[in-house]
Amino acid sequence: MDSTKLKQEIQERRAQMQSAPKEGVAGQHNMEELRKLQPRYRGLEAGHRACQGCGEALAARLVTEAAGPDVILTNATGCLEVFTTPWPQSAWRLPWIHSLFENSAAVASGVEAALKAQGRSTKVIAQGGDGGTFDIGFQALSGMLERQHNILYVCYDNEAYMNTGIQRSGSTPHAAMTTTSPPGKERMGKRHMKKDLLSIIAAHHIPYAASASVAYPADIRRKVRRAVSIEGPTFLLIHSPCPLGWGIESDISIEVARLAVQTGLFPIIELERGELTGVMPIRNPRPVTDYLKLQNRFKHLFTDDPRARKEREHVQALADHNIEIYQLRGEGVDALDTDGADTVRRGGVVD
Amino acid sequence: MLHALEGSQAIAQAVALCRPAVVAAYPITPQTHIVENISKLVADGKLKCEFVSVESEFSAASVVLGSAATGARSYTASSSQGILLMAEVLFDIAGMRLPMVLTCANRAISAPINIWNDHQDAMTVRDSGWIQLYCADNQEAIDTTIQAFRISERTELPVMVCVDGFVLTHTLEVVDMPNAEQVDSYLPPFTFKNKLDPKHPLSLGTLVGPEYYTEARYSLHRALEKALPEIESADADWAKICGRASGGLLTVDGPESASVGVLAMGSVVSTLTEANEILPGKKRVRLMKLRAFRPFPAEALRQACAGLKELIVLERAFSPGCGGILGTEVRAALAGMAKPPAVRNFAVGLGGRDIPLGTLSKLLDAAKAQGNEGFSILDVEPERLPPEDR
Amino acid sequence: MKQLSRGAFALPGTSLDFKTGTWRNEMPVHTHWGAPCHVACPAGEDAQAYIAKMMEGHPKQAWEILVQANPLPATTARVCPHFCEQACNRKHMDQPIAIHLIERYLGDEAIKNNWAYPVDVSKEDGEPVCVVGAGPAGLSAAYHLRRLGHPVTLIDSLPEAGGLLRTAIPVTRLPRNVLDAEVGRLLKLGIDFKPRTSLGRDVSLEQLMGEHAYLFLAPGAAKSRHWSVDGAVPSDLREGLGLLKEWLVVGDIPKPKSVAIHGGGNTAVDLARVMKRAGVADVHVITASGLPGPDADPKDVLNVVPREFEQAVEEGIVFHAHRTIQRLLMRGSKLVGLEMVHLKKLPGAGGRSSRVAFEGTETVLHVEMVVPAIGEVVEPQGFENLLGHADYFKADPIGQIAGSDRVLVGGDARGDRGTVTAAIGDGRLAALAIHAKLTGGELPDPKRRPFIDYDKLNVNYFEPAARAVEPMLALEQRNDSDEIEGGLNFAQVTHEIGRCFSCGNCLACDNCWTLCPDNAVIKTVERAADGSHYVFDYEYCKGCGLCAHECPCGYIGMVSD
Repeated sequence: MDSTKLKQEIQERRAQMQSAPKEGVAGQHNMEELRKLQPRYRGLEAGHRACQGCGEALAARLVTEAAGPDVILTNATGCLEVFTTPWPQSAWRLPWIHSLFENSAAVASGVEAALKAQGRSTKVIAQGGDGGTFDIGFQALSGMLERQHNILYVCYDNEAYMNTGIQRSGSTPHAAMTTTSPPGKERMGKRHMKKDLLSIIAAHHIPYAASASVAYPADIRRKVRRAVSIEGPTFLLIHSPCPLGWGIESDISIEVARLAVQTGLFPIIELERGELTGVMPIRNPRPVTDYLKLQNRFKHLFTDDPRARKEREHVQALADHNIEIYQLRGEGVDALDTDGADTVRRGGVVD
Repeated sequence: MLHALEGSQAIAQAVALCRPAVVAAYPITPQTHIVENISKLVADGKLKCEFVSVESEFSAASVVLGSAATGARSYTASSSQGILLMAEVLFDIAGMRLPMVLTCANRAISAPINIWNDHQDAMTVRDSGWIQLYCADNQEAIDTTIQAFRISERTELPVMVCVDGFVLTHTLEVVDMPNAEQVDSYLPPFTFKNKLDPKHPLSLGTLVGPEYYTEARYSLHRALEKALPEIESADADWAKICGRASGGLLTVDGPESASVGVLAMGSVVSTLTEANEILPGKKRVRLMKLRAFRPFPAEALRQACAGLKELIVLERAFSPGCGGILGTEVRAALAGMAKPPAVRNFAVGLGGRDIPLGTLSKLLDAAKAQGNEGFSILDVEPERLPPEDR
Repeated sequence: MKQLSRGAFALPGTSLDFKTGTWRNEMPVHTHWGAPCHVACPAGEDAQAYIAKMMEGHPKQAWEILVQANPLPATTARVCPHFCEQACNRKHMDQPIAIHLIERYLGDEAIKNNWAYPVDVSKEDGEPVCVVGAGPAGLSAAYHLRRLGHPVTLIDSLPEAGGLLRTAIPVTRLPRNVLDAEVGRLLKLGIDFKPRTSLGRDVSLEQLMGEHAYLFLAPGAAKSRHWSVDGAVPSDLREGLGLLKEWLVVGDIPKPKSVAIHGGGNTAVDLARVMKRAGVADVHVITASGLPGPDADPKDVLNVVPREFEQAVEEGIVFHAHRTIQRLLMRGSKLVGLEMVHLKKLPGAGGRSSRVAFEGTETVLHVEMVVPAIGEVVEPQGFENLLGHADYFKADPIGQIAGSDRVLVGGDARGDRGTVTAAIGDGRLAALAIHAKLTGGELPDPKRRPFIDYDKLNVNYFEPAARAVEPMLALEQRNDSDEIEGGLNFAQVTHEIGRCFSCGNCLACDNCWTLCPDNAVIKTVERAADGSHYVFDYEYCKGCGLCAHECPCGYIGMVSD
């Protein structure tokens, strides 16, 4: 069925629904009351100004939901800060502080030191984007980890400086187009590799560091709960697609995030004291082109140019390398692999 | 009780008496002795606080930003390049109206690198929204540090206590160290109503658009202006407890009949005072010690200048391509007087160059040669430069 | 005027003042599509709905949903070719849901526990309707008319109700206790059942028309179609349905050394198996159709339940597909063999397809007996005026016979049906139509509704899981009286319902609720009016479409706002 026809049919159905008796349909629910009855903690409220389909907004919502109410948040400058707190409004229901771009980890260190001095047990979660974590805020983060503060640092990785208009960061993947790594006669997007931040984090010998993806919310929740239960510094890197910056439709940001994992380009791993202790295995690795072709930032890799083919192969090699070094190749069916991790559990391997 | 103490040690003990909950610092000469002494007090169990040894001044300022926002009395110290590295955070702290105290062991700025004393560091962040108080000796450094916490917490503004590097920080002086009861009676425990607290989850550091940004900045300006009486009362109230004032906003010394005044900040005032005392009676000047540089006490300054024909502003920094910083501000402040004195402006003692007792006489001579809007560096020797660079 | 807080702090959750719903171009709506299983079922069973009810742990309510469409689920579970399973979207991932086994479980549970139809038996405020023929179509019509409150008279020429379910289907496929339980339960709904009443002999059409507001004709097709090969017929020819009926009633069956059964339907296959078990050494089925298989065109395969075909092959029946009988080899009037030839249905001129025999592909099969089982036509007795010279009744899709306003027809008598399930669907449609005509309501729409395709589901959220396999009697244990196939136990049924994709309907999986970046999907305490468990908060929904894309069931659609 083509999409026009589908839309038309949905319209017809909707017309039927509208002519049906209006007993307690959506509009008649007391939404304000219903909102209060939601069986989950609301750390990030509706009404924030993230773009449609924002992966970072979703990730932050999931993180705060899992962490619960006894938390203080710090936030680096970036999209998350801007879209949640245009004065006089705030989307946060948790105590939250934003200072500067590069000091989320250091501000969090101060918050944590104050809590310690005051004898309070509230958990501190520092948040930042990839720019504020991989690049400008990296030193403060390293210091925070080295000093063993009792803080969970969460990096929402959307792989470029999105808030300032999609400039390349240390996290931007190889060959991606950004406004400061445009393709042209001399270049095929970003020349350099995505910084292997987790390995650097792991070298701090902290109790727990992990990567996660918005495509796997249950995994995020589990990792956040794990991290906040640890006394000491922990780190979570969450792959969070940016529809605007990646050039994708807003409705496929989860799909794209899922493919990043299923191709091996964004490995989902856990590290304890620097040792690899867990991976999300890939049941059926997908070719990287499945992932790349959905995104405008990789559009130049699908031209006639022989360099395009070379770069596609290069990206595939990077994915294969990840699969190899992290041993992501799953054997058989695993309830927590890339195909099973977020299934709705109807049938399948768990029963 | 009187003790012979190095300035840094005295400041560290004064800080400890104020019972900070969080101290964060990064080493930089000549601030190091202060934080080393605090570390030792913590290590010895004499000070119960979280001492966070950070990886940069930027993080030092950020840590105290976070801890102050969490309702903890917070302290840090730095100097020179450290202050400049902190600059972005300093502006942020003031804009967020977070109370805390920072000791600036004043030092010159690179390049060329120079670890010795002048005021270029603090002057560079004069627009950050911090209160800046300058100390003439180590007793003032002790008393001003204690007062700074009270001023900061009452005004919800951060306070920078400026002490001259080496000249004060590394100099042994006999000082009267207050006792804990005195400080406790003066300085109540810190409560910050806008602190980060899950029970009252505020969002701090929001984005403010053009509709309200002007008002936000105006409110910071007004807060600093309103801090002037707080600085005076903090000094007066402390004087009631320990019998010793530090000079409020500014103090005036010397014969009332003097027609020439000299205004300066920091330890050079002590040198000038001594020099003034040995001048022949009729040559003695009205000596002004400016303690509060931010907020700038324009009205108090005008009153202090009443009847003067000439005011010489002596400062320890300048703005290249423009001239004196303090001098420019004093000229602006006095412009509103009915009969303003002519203002002469000199910089002296940059990068630790010695300021001997003879400086005052030399200054008075040089002032005669300077025009009303002029600026000179008193102790510069241009012949040490190649001709094309003079 | 809003006054700036000192340091510009903001209060928690105040973003709710900012209604991001104004950004929206498209809005998500819950869209309950027909599930393919539902749309494919000629009887109108909504398998997706009763499976969902089972999933919630309410088997009785699930059965009640089932019998809203089909009053004989334990029967159809055993005899239907399961169009639902052929349509099931799950086949694209691994294997279809074993819907018939879930249906069978519910049907058998109902019999075991004596569950009553959710029908008010005391309600008799409608108009009297007469149903002619107590086979699947007639029973279904009677049942649905009773549900709707109409008094029903049901007549049948045989002593017992059931029609071909009783006369033509071996007990090894449909045990009589199952049939008796379901038919008995149905007749107890206050139906005036008159057995041994033959139209044209005991009562006339006109008489019935006079006594009833409407007539529903479901006489089936009981008269074997005339069969010969170029005019040649063995003198001892017996046709298939007759043999099967005789065997079912008296237990007797001819036992030649070899037999060829000509035909491609259930009668042919059932008879072949009965004869094989009776001791006939070589049993051949000659059919113009193809055999079921992965690459087979569904329009060109045997019209039998696929499992029945597999069992027949297991039992040693030899199938000759795409063949017809071209010549009988006779010694006198006795058959000694026959000549087969390959043929295929090919599109001919004018778009009509015809069967073409291919010269040079003739083979000879030595058999002692040939049995035609090529289908049956309506026994015209009593219907002569309506039927004329036609083999079947001509009617519109809801069964209305042109020119006879008060007479509807359904089941095999239409000539275009061919399954028990289709007959049951006809009975239901006709009952609804009669009710609509009597009450001035809207006529039922027999058109197939749109259903949701596999590619509209998000199958990332489903795990592969093997289809449940029913227990089956081993070859050597099979006899003429024991049911060959068994049912599933509760644990197996639970596994099987867990495989359902819930196509086009809410699964209550929480995906939309979990994945909305804007907190604009709100979970309801009770089920919402549209059948989902969630409502959209359009004040905040930005219309990103994530919920729709990530809905595993295709239940959320985006429409322009």
